[in-house]
Amino acid sequence: MRRTILFLLFLLPHLTSAALDMSGLAAVPVQESGRKKPFLVFADEAMMGMTGRTSVERDGKKLASVEAVTGMWLAPAGWENVPLILINDKKLQERAGLDRTRKRYSYSELASSEGLRALLQEASALRAKNPKAKLDPVVKSAADAGMRLAVFEGLVSGRTVTLLPTGAAAWSPLGENDPALAKLRGGFASDDQASFDAGLAALRAEQASENPRFQADPGKIAAEVFYQRLHPFRWAWILYLCAGIVLMVSAGRTPGYLLAWGFALAGFGMQLAGFVFRIIISGRAPVTNMYESVVWVAFGTILFALVFEAIHRSRYFLMGAVPVAVVSLILADTQPVILDRSIRPLVPVLADNFWLTTHVLTITLSYAAFALALGVAHIALGKIILGTKPAKSLYNYLYRALQVGVLLLAIGTILGGVWANYSWGRFWDWDPKETWALIALLGYLFLLHGRIAGKWGDFGMAVGAVLAFQSIIMAWYGVNFVLGVGLHSYGFGTGGFPVALGFVLAEIAFIALAVFRKNSGIARPQGAVGA
Amino acid sequence: MRDLATVEGRAMSAGEAAARRRMIAERQKTSLAWRVIHWLGSLQLALILLSTIAIACAVATFTESSFNTKIAQAYIYKAPWFLVWLTVLCVNLFAVTLTRWPWQKKHTGFIITHYGIITLLIGAIIGMNFGFEGNVTLHKDKPPATKITVNRSIIQVESPVDSALYVMAFDASTAGISESRPRVFQVPGTSLKIVADAFSDNLVKEQSLVPNDNGVPGVLLRLTSPRMGQNVELPLLLQGGTPQEEDFFGLATIVFQSALPEPVAGDSETQMVFGKFAPVVHSGENPSGVGVLLSEDGSKVTIRSADQTSATYLREEIMKKPVPAGTAIVTIEDYWPDFQMQSGKPATKSPLPNNPAALVRIQTAGSGGAGKPSLVLAPGKEGVSFQLLRSGATVASGVAKPGEPFALGWADWQAEVVSFLPKAGVASVTKPGPPLPDGEHGIPGFRARLESPGNRSGEPRWVESGDITTLTDGTRLVRIGYGLELRPVPFSLRLVDFEVPRYEGTETPSNFIASVEFTDAKTGEKKPGTARMNHPASFPGTLWANLTGFNYKFSQAEWNPRDLGETTLQVLYDPGWLLKWLGSLGICVGIAIMFYGKPRSGASH
Repeated sequence: MRRTILFLLFLLPHLTSAALDMSGLAAVPVQESGRKKPFLVFADEAMMGMTGRTSVERDGKKLASVEAVTGMWLAPAGWENVPLILINDKKLQERAGLDRTRKRYSYSELASSEGLRALLQEASALRAKNPKAKLDPVVKSAADAGMRLAVFEGLVSGRTVTLLPTGAAAWSPLGENDPALAKLRGGFASDDQASFDAGLAALRAEQASENPRFQADPGKIAAEVFYQRLHPFRWAWILYLCAGIVLMVSAGRTPGYLLAWGFALAGFGMQLAGFVFRIIISGRAPVTNMYESVVWVAFGTILFALVFEAIHRSRYFLMGAVPVAVVSLILADTQPVILDRSIRPLVPVLADNFWLTTHVLTITLSYAAFALALGVAHIALGKIILGTKPAKSLYNYLYRALQVGVLLLAIGTILGGVWANYSWGRFWDWDPKETWALIALLGYLFLLHGRIAGKWGDFGMAVGAVLAFQSIIMAWYGVNFVLGVGLHSYGFGTGGFPVALGFVLAEIAFIALAVFRKNSGIARPQGAVGA
Repeated sequence: MRDLATVEGRAMSAGEAAARRRMIAERQKTSLAWRVIHWLGSLQLALILLSTIAIACAVATFTESSFNTKIAQAYIYKAPWFLVWLTVLCVNLFAVTLTRWPWQKKHTGFIITHYGIITLLIGAIIGMNFGFEGNVTLHKDKPPATKITVNRSIIQVESPVDSALYVMAFDASTAGISESRPRVFQVPGTSLKIVADAFSDNLVKEQSLVPNDNGVPGVLLRLTSPRMGQNVELPLLLQGGTPQEEDFFGLATIVFQSALPEPVAGDSETQMVFGKFAPVVHSGENPSGVGVLLSEDGSKVTIRSADQTSATYLREEIMKKPVPAGTAIVTIEDYWPDFQMQSGKPATKSPLPNNPAALVRIQTAGSGGAGKPSLVLAPGKEGVSFQLLRSGATVASGVAKPGEPFALGWADWQAEVVSFLPKAGVASVTKPGPPLPDGEHGIPGFRARLESPGNRSGEPRWVESGDITTLTDGTRLVRIGYGLELRPVPFSLRLVDFEVPRYEGTETPSNFIASVEFTDAKTGEKKPGTARMNHPASFPGTLWANLTGFNYKFSQAEWNPRDLGETTLQVLYDPGWLLKWLGSLGICVGIAIMFYGKPRSGASH
């Protein structure tokens, strides 16, 4: 026994030294794609850009992004045979003559693919003729793959690892004969922590010796390292999920309700912290791409739910908001290829905090209010499907959420017009994003006016809140990812269409079921079924 | 049935509310006017309007995505029926406020909102009819602009009677003209008619070489670039024995002259240079002293000229491109990151720069002439002979036979002599080209002919946008121009400076800043202005002008990455602006009052 412990003690330091500790490197600033960021973020983004995830397996060993990227940079030999580069497009796999059972391919596999090379040439020829040309999906995928290959080439050549603040406009990579680079290489190759750390210290010293005007702000870099490691939005959905589960199992009991409140507040705090970090890092409102808007809408939904809960103490707001927030945050957490979380410089038109905070925050908060209405409507319709009659107050809560949404959507759309008047030189010109915001607003107005006219009642309002939300999906996701035309092009992207379509179809099926159950007239007294 | 009206009603006593309802019902029975008002302001009509406008807009966005913006605007957004529909909406909004007459305090939000929408729409109609949107492209080195290009297509017809220009609005791309549905324009002051009966979005001017007994020697050259998918035909004539010189996209010059110049002996040698070994130095017949060094990782190339000045380039950027080094030209012809001879041929073992090697060609010019590369052609006994010159030295020469393309060494361009005629002229015809792929724009235009009474019809011709075409019925001539309208403005506008700051370490612009100078046409007064992203420049730009919209506003619209002395500004003159503003404010405030401005008592059970 004693011997075993001794043996373990002997083994322990050896185990830790086997893997080089690179945490020092993680906090070193790099200048890349328009801003200064810690090496950790640089590595995460490079890996995400190449492989669509932040870790990779090499020789049976799982490497985190910093380890892998450092490897490509300091000891590139062999990396060209590691299946790294993500190619999802089945058509492209076929055209490039790749093994279609895989999704990731090595650099040398792709570099030797004649099919891929032909497509890349086609893409560059098209772009040379017209930089804004809309590419054929396969050609577009090939161009994306080309960009991933370029990321790899940049790393193995060290060209893109711009570590030295030699100028405000552009930093430089370490020179081939740089003593720091030699030490880092030596330390990395022989797993020699001391040599690696010496290289790191030399690198830090070299960075510090450059002009202070071009240096990165150490506070911001430290904040970003912390943010990158914290994953606040992941914690948020876990906490919201806990709140939802507690609400489900603790029908009506106060301690359970309070506990749910606690979880929801904790999640909310995590999201708040996440946004504060993003604002500190980027210096702007956190609603500039699809990822940020999805996270923000989840935040807004919980915000409205908490405010309404504080007023009405009804449980339904939280119960309606939690699924919406959890689903949005899980999507944002698990679909990094579609929802890109990296902080990038903005197109000039967006780089205006006044309009970002007024127009974009208002519009996205209106989405959040409608998402809350969607959640509450689902509870009402769910009760009907389960055969209970929803209480009148539930419909009143739904109406309250719809009101907030209509007011914010009207204000947000009009603010968009005022912004456009300054940025694009016209108030309204039927740009698809503008038009879909208007269509969504008209849809909700139709819903409310029809109710005043007596065309439909409470049940109709719940059905309408679900149907009208589909127009929000179109305005939010569809214009950017499906239509792909218009001036809001900075938000355009691809992917996720089957998910969105599936969501819409599921909602329609849900409504059909509710209508069927309603008409079949089974209504047991409340509380008999479900919670 | 519990609706919002009754929720509102709870504030009043039940008796008062009932009396009011009776009064409203009563006046509809006794007065036709009230019946009409209640019908026009009915919720049924409102629901029809809301749903049809929403559906029309949705259809329009998909139309725009699958066709183009112009079609969506012509058939929906800016179509007469849509305008009528919006007018009906205004009437509905106005009538519904009347149905609540006499108004009570609880109607405040409702009235402000509905009148806000009407005000906004009136502002939009004023803006559409009395304002305009357009753009102006400015250049630092060009004289000030005094006209704005408006987003409206017009034709200009010059009447043969008084030579005056007549302007008519006409957009051939959305007019839907065809042979069975032509559009006819009367030529003012005459009995002549212009008949437009076909449209093309890709007109091409085809120049061809035609035999002409009084002509001069001519050659038709075809230049192709497989990589760019380009194909250019160029007819060249030898007018009076003087050489004809053509600039080729700024890339090179093409000269057609009576005889080829004496070849200029240059000297050229090809060498392999290795990253891990010493540089190569030119050692040809007349050594130029040029040295070429490849960096150890193969990413950079350093070229040292004879005068010992050296320059370092990123290898990728200068691959296969001639780089001048003093009087010599250095071209990196090929590159292998991990060089190895495989079955007698150079090859690379891996993509990693383990043993980088490059194939380098060093050319020296005999006379040391500089300038663009050129292709010189001359008629010879066996056809057309050619010479390729670079830096004054003859790089290649030969006889260009029809059907045998030869490489030019300008990117991947190739040239081929299509035909050679000893006596020729050039004929130019405008006609529709092949359909364009998505996202590309050609020169649009329409086919027109001149018709005189008795249906005597002249030859149809294609009228190209931005050009003037002459039509004839055999006896008279009518000149017709087609394109976007140019509108004069009461001031001139000069671009003083244009800056494009970038995000650190990238080529991505972070802003566009145009400094302009306005000069009032009447007073001659000068006023500076700056148009940044989100911060337009305006003229006259006073507070009053900005508030009312009697103001010309210039926002950054486009830039030219290849010419930073040029920028395009979007121009807006919108006298409806104040009403749009007030209307918008009304809508937001009104909804807020409606939802939150009343006691919440009735709503929470």
